[in-house]
Amino acid sequence: MLTIESGGDGIVVVRGRLDAAQAAHAQGFLDKVSGTVTLDVAGLEYISSAGLGVLLKTQKRLLGGAGKLRLAGVSPHLRDIFVYSGFDQLFEIEPAR
Amino acid sequence: MDDRASRHRLAAEDLEAILGVTTALAQPFDLTTMLAEVVNAAKQVLKADRGSVWLYDAGRNELVLEVATGASAIRVPATAGLVGACAQSRAIINVPDCYADARFDPRVDRESGYRTRCMLTLPLIDHRGALVGVMQVLNKAGGVFDAGDEMLAAALAAQCAVALQRVRMTEALIEGERMRQELEMAREVQMSTLPSQMPAVPGYDVFGVSRPAEQTGGDTFDLMPTEGGLVVVLGDATGHGIAPALSVTQMQAMLRMAFRLGADLPTAFRHVNDQLAATLADDRFVTAFIGVLDPLTHRFEFHSGGQGPILHLSAATGACTSHPPTSFPLGAMPLAKLRPSVTLDMRPGDVALLITDGVYEYHDPDGEAYGEGRVEAIARGHGARPMAELAARILADVEAFARGAPQQDDVTLVLVARAPATAVGRFARRVDVLPALFAFTAAFFADHEVDAALLSPVDFAIEELFTNMVKYGRPGGDEVELALARIAGGVDVALTDYDVEPFDPTRAPDADVTLPIEQRSPGGLGIHLTRRLVEGLDYRYIPERREARITFRKTGDPTRRGGA
Repeated sequence: MLTIESGGDGIVVVRGRLDAAQAAHAQGFLDKVSGTVTLDVAGLEYISSAGLGVLLKTQKRLLGGAGKLRLAGVSPHLRDIFVYSGFDQLFEIEPAR
Repeated sequence: MDDRASRHRLAAEDLEAILGVTTALAQPFDLTTMLAEVVNAAKQVLKADRGSVWLYDAGRNELVLEVATGASAIRVPATAGLVGACAQSRAIINVPDCYADARFDPRVDRESGYRTRCMLTLPLIDHRGALVGVMQVLNKAGGVFDAGDEMLAAALAAQCAVALQRVRMTEALIEGERMRQELEMAREVQMSTLPSQMPAVPGYDVFGVSRPAEQTGGDTFDLMPTEGGLVVVLGDATGHGIAPALSVTQMQAMLRMAFRLGADLPTAFRHVNDQLAATLADDRFVTAFIGVLDPLTHRFEFHSGGQGPILHLSAATGACTSHPPTSFPLGAMPLAKLRPSVTLDMRPGDVALLITDGVYEYHDPDGEAYGEGRVEAIARGHGARPMAELAARILADVEAFARGAPQQDDVTLVLVARAPATAVGRFARRVDVLPALFAFTAAFFADHEVDAALLSPVDFAIEELFTNMVKYGRPGGDEVELALARIAGGVDVALTDYDVEPFDPTRAPDADVTLPIEQRSPGGLGIHLTRRLVEGLDYRYIPERREARITFRKTGDPTRRGGA
């Protein structure tokens, strides 16, 4: 399952699994954010290409409005996926502490 | 012709007599008959009353007189008496009055009551000039042997020598052939004791194969289902020729009987050892692995008398453990004390490899031995395959390694594999079954202790491939089948889609991940990433069944990662 909610101070916390079945739910939430947003993915266990699509679409929209999406708390597995997909070039990535 | 006939002064009747005996000499194939024929021929041609033939034993430089059946042969040094003098000089000795010749020994006459008057002693020399023996003829009818008789005897002697030599060589050949046949028969007996088909053991794949060397070797194996489990035997007897074949056959029969009578492993091992020690020759022994596999508890307990290494491949870790023997070779001496047996804990997918030194010590033309490492490498790479295939791969690799070097020893393999842990689930072709799919993989990882770090990449690949099937397959059609199997260090995954057109997502090109963000789209990222996160991604389509199957593996080995 997936939970996505605002943590205050421009932080959005996402937890669980961002797969094809949950992509629409996440997209619906992120379509409403604006400005510079930090997405805390420390609790994100899993992401598929459908989830990457959500992040990409959000990033494109925010960059158009002089904002951006930053990723924080990136686990080694997620980092592998971001590197293999070139997303490390598209997002500021802050590893998990 | 005239010149030659006159020089030899052989009468036509004499020639006829020689030709007659030559025919007789062509017949016999055994030495006893041939000796009698030679003596008869001499008596007939030289009109002598008696005759005898001494055979030359070159190895001991002795002359041997075969006498009546039952008595042992008379042997004299090849230098003694008239026969010795003849053997030395290789010339005819004609003694017209024996009692006037110092070399004559009259004791024989005194014992037999016969009176030797005259005697002709002539060497038997074959066509290659080798001394075959010495012939003596006694008491010419109506007189003494003259120069004509000497000439006749020389012609006859050449015939006799060749005939005798032929029989001796034939006998040697027959003896060699007999040995070869006996060896072949012993090998047949040895091979006939091997299991003709592999026993069916629930949850296990067991396979044995033995390739005998041409001349020597004494390998055996046995796979015998008993109440206590599957008895597994691998043996290798020392020595050359028939003896090792007989030793292992004997051991195998004893073991079968012991286990049939309900003996446990240590008892069977101890008693068979002690019995072999009592019956085998002092320089003989059998190295043997004797194990009992309980397919319910998956405990594979063994004793090994000098048979090793015993390899145990762990499917979970991919590690190969090498166990030394627990005891000295069977039959070497009675067992005063037996060390504890060793028990292999056979986990799902584990393989026990019992292989004789015919494999480990197979030498290539440069003198390098095949060794344990090569076996381990093949086992790691193909341990999840059927054992018959794994055995064939090892044998093929040994053959390639040998580069034509001949097989010096028997080569025997017994492979015992516990079936890998597998799980098969069927999922409707809808994206909302993903949680059920992930629950299925998570449960499998937990049940079979697969490294949890591998779960996310496996789920990723499954999701990408599954959603592809949902997108491009027949909507509302059959379910997609997901099969997971535990392999060395990880998991093997197969996704099968039924009743579909061929569509190979694994051939999709990589995404260009260097494009600026405006040009990036999520399309193609799924396969792009799958290729990099898992190993051996493979697509197969079976047109007859309209079936598409995608397989991949995920292990913790970083060197096996597929893709860039």
